[in-house]
Amino acid sequence: MKSRLALLLAVCISCSLVLSGCWNSRELNELAIVSGIGIDSLDGKPGYRVTFQIINPSSSSQTMGSTSNQPPIVIVSATDRTIFGALRKASRRATRQLFFAHTQLVIIGESLARTGVTSIFDIFERSHELRLNSAVLVSKDTDAASVLKLLTTLETLPSMGLLKKMQNTSQVWGENRRVTVFEVINGITGASDFTINGVQIVGDVVEGQKKSSLEQSDPMVGSLMSGLGVFKEGQLIGWLNGPESRGTQWMLNKLNETNVNVDSPDTEEDIAVNIFYSKTRVKVELQDGKPVFHVHIAEEGIINETGGFVDLSKEKELEALEQGIEQKTADEVRQAFEAAQKMKTDIFNLGNELKRIHPDQWEKVKQDWSSAFAEGELDLRVEAFIRSTGMRLKPYIPAKK
Amino acid sequence: MPKQQSQSNPGEISSSSQESPPIFTDLEDTLKQIHERLGNSPDLNVRKYETLNHENHVAVMYINGLVDKELVDEYVTHALSFEEIREEAPSAADLFIFAKEKALSIGKEKVVEDQNSVLEALLSGDTIILFDKLDKGISVTTSGGEGRSVTEATTQVNIRGPKDSFTESLGTNIALVRKRIKNPNLWIETLTMGSVTKTDVSIAHIHGLAKEETLQQIRKKLADIHVDSILESGYIEQLIEENNYSPFPTLYNTERPDSVAGNLLEGRIAIFVDGTPFVLILPATFFMFFHTVEDYYQRYDITSVIRVLRFICLLVSLFGPAIFVAALNFHQEMIPTPLLINFASQREGVPFPVVIEVLLLEVTFEIIREAGIRMPSQIGQTVSIIGGLVLGQAAVQAGIVSPAMVIVVSLTGISSFATPAFNMALSIRILRFVITFVAAYIGLYGIAIVGLILVAHLCSLRSMGVPYMSPVAPFAPGDQKDIFLRAPLHFMKTRRRLLKNDKAPGATVQNSQGSRHEK
Repeated sequence: MKSRLALLLAVCISCSLVLSGCWNSRELNELAIVSGIGIDSLDGKPGYRVTFQIINPSSSSQTMGSTSNQPPIVIVSATDRTIFGALRKASRRATRQLFFAHTQLVIIGESLARTGVTSIFDIFERSHELRLNSAVLVSKDTDAASVLKLLTTLETLPSMGLLKKMQNTSQVWGENRRVTVFEVINGITGASDFTINGVQIVGDVVEGQKKSSLEQSDPMVGSLMSGLGVFKEGQLIGWLNGPESRGTQWMLNKLNETNVNVDSPDTEEDIAVNIFYSKTRVKVELQDGKPVFHVHIAEEGIINETGGFVDLSKEKELEALEQGIEQKTADEVRQAFEAAQKMKTDIFNLGNELKRIHPDQWEKVKQDWSSAFAEGELDLRVEAFIRSTGMRLKPYIPAKK
Repeated sequence: MPKQQSQSNPGEISSSSQESPPIFTDLEDTLKQIHERLGNSPDLNVRKYETLNHENHVAVMYINGLVDKELVDEYVTHALSFEEIREEAPSAADLFIFAKEKALSIGKEKVVEDQNSVLEALLSGDTIILFDKLDKGISVTTSGGEGRSVTEATTQVNIRGPKDSFTESLGTNIALVRKRIKNPNLWIETLTMGSVTKTDVSIAHIHGLAKEETLQQIRKKLADIHVDSILESGYIEQLIEENNYSPFPTLYNTERPDSVAGNLLEGRIAIFVDGTPFVLILPATFFMFFHTVEDYYQRYDITSVIRVLRFICLLVSLFGPAIFVAALNFHQEMIPTPLLINFASQREGVPFPVVIEVLLLEVTFEIIREAGIRMPSQIGQTVSIIGGLVLGQAAVQAGIVSPAMVIVVSLTGISSFATPAFNMALSIRILRFVITFVAAYIGLYGIAIVGLILVAHLCSLRSMGVPYMSPVAPFAPGDQKDIFLRAPLHFMKTRRRLLKNDKAPGATVQNSQGSRHEK
């Protein structure tokens, strides 16, 4: 009796194993690994055109024997009322099941961005495959599909290349920073507004889709990280470029490393200072119903290049240079701040800061925070220090008589 | 393998159960019967003498190859031709006394009174002297003959430490241990096992260190064994282990005398079996199989690092292919993107699922390993070249397996050889197949489940009453000095909690190793 019971149990268990088994098992060569997703609006009609950049493993890996003449990526797109619908519809064009866990990039077309991005990120939170730490970009002056179609040199995978471009420039130049899906969702739900990096195509878009465009040392087409798209209530309302966007990063304490050109005693902007440390502290309070933003920036730099003569062995000269850096930094931050005020968009996370520190004061202004922000006052203090002058003191350039 | 525990065995030689024929007073009769009973085997050597006084006939017999010929010639044959025999031994009875008391100046002699004991003595290498007109004889211990000399250990090789290993001779083996533990408390008891083979089996322990209960338990278990034959210590191992259906070995075996000595000093018990160089040690714990004697000869820091490495190898050899299969089939999101793309491109042309690939390679690897063991050593190299180079390289180029898979499988294979105990490595290898299957079925979830079952099973095992996973489970904080790491010798001053003989605290043994109480 007992042995029969055990046998029955064994049969049940093995049945449950055999019958259910492997349902989620997928072989690698049955997967289409999606490296980038582009979302565009359909002109006027509701719905999306979703473009997938699929990795072609046999021509994109670095291993031996995988030289094929196919491009490293394949583009598949589909249109549907919902993004998930488009994902599934794409199967009509793709030979393998799309696999999203390795999506590096989500690119939003500018026209869609202008109509609003609020609703498109739900699937990223809901799906177990899509990642919240994929980077988000807004294609500037073009649609997302074109950006995804571009082939790149050096990096075989265009999405990877674009991502590295973004990381690299945010690391050493500081106008952009990696914005993830998670941050965008936070921006949508938070009290402040947010920015998303812009990406631009320079050159001939059609040429850029051909592999022959990679066979030249100077590719005819390329992508460029350009500026920050300013979003207000989920809608793209404008762009911040150059100093404005770097000022934004400064304000947000997201600046990692950058270069500031300051004036030498006799020429303008001919001394390059590499800022390698920057820390921003922000305090927000209401004074007579008007928000005041106390921003304190401390930065440190190294002199990396001088275009003319400066006697760097003298402390006075260094102090003058430090003042120059402070001046430049303050200028950029002010420009960014004024641009944001003009657009009545708090992209500096200041609203959240006020809400966090003075919830009671926030209650008074939260109804009309945008206009309150626009009238706010910036109390900016910058402290700059030069920590080193590189491997020499006085430059070899003689002083001008 | 001979049948064990057979009820009525035709090969059963006359033992105490049957009535033994006596030794006849007529020498010729006795000799004839003994010849018959040995099936007229040519290796029975009989020499008949007439003593010097021409009155008595004496027969000296032994079995060729089992005795030390020099001993027989010098002490037995020679002793019976003393001049004194003329006066002192006129009759057979006198001759018997004379030979027993005076002439035979050799180690051990005893009186045999029936044919069975004559046969038994002959077969264990004794020389028998029979006298005409007398119904008893003398058996003299002259065992010797050809045997392998003490050589370097072949299965448990080490860099530093003694190079000798056990041989097939029980006496030599025990002597090798005695030489290391010069202490009267090293007690050895011998019993004969196997109704046909009559194999000598010795239990060794250090009195005062080994637990008395464990010893009793072993004695009882050995006494309960009724088999025809004990040809190797493996027979005893299988017959006395508590968990026959567990994949894990619960008895440790070694061919190194220093390992036996060390384990005896830890309070363990050794079982020597005549005819094999492998000595059983018990109780054994899981972690013993991952330690070597050399761990104690090298400095503690080196040993500790190497031990950690061994446990990493254990994990790799157990879970390596399984994790690979699970990650590739179920958890592609866990692999970094560039690596995933590389894997994907390698798998582009491969027609089989990952798990089939793994099994193909694993089975190939097992074939090469098994063939390599049985193969004459001259051809061994050919096998490794064909196996490693041709199969590995060519299989990849032929598109049957992917290159990454070759790496995974070979790494696993090599890792499994990093386990010092071969029997443990074999068990792990079998379990690896199970885990790989489960991983191919339900991914990491399955690996976790099997891992849990394994841990639970390991914790439930016992070796002679000692929990297999001790001192980790049950946890003994004081005994952690010698498990995953090894503390410097001067910290190791206490004995293992579960092995300690509670009745003799501090032990009566003067430890010859200075501060090294616990090995």
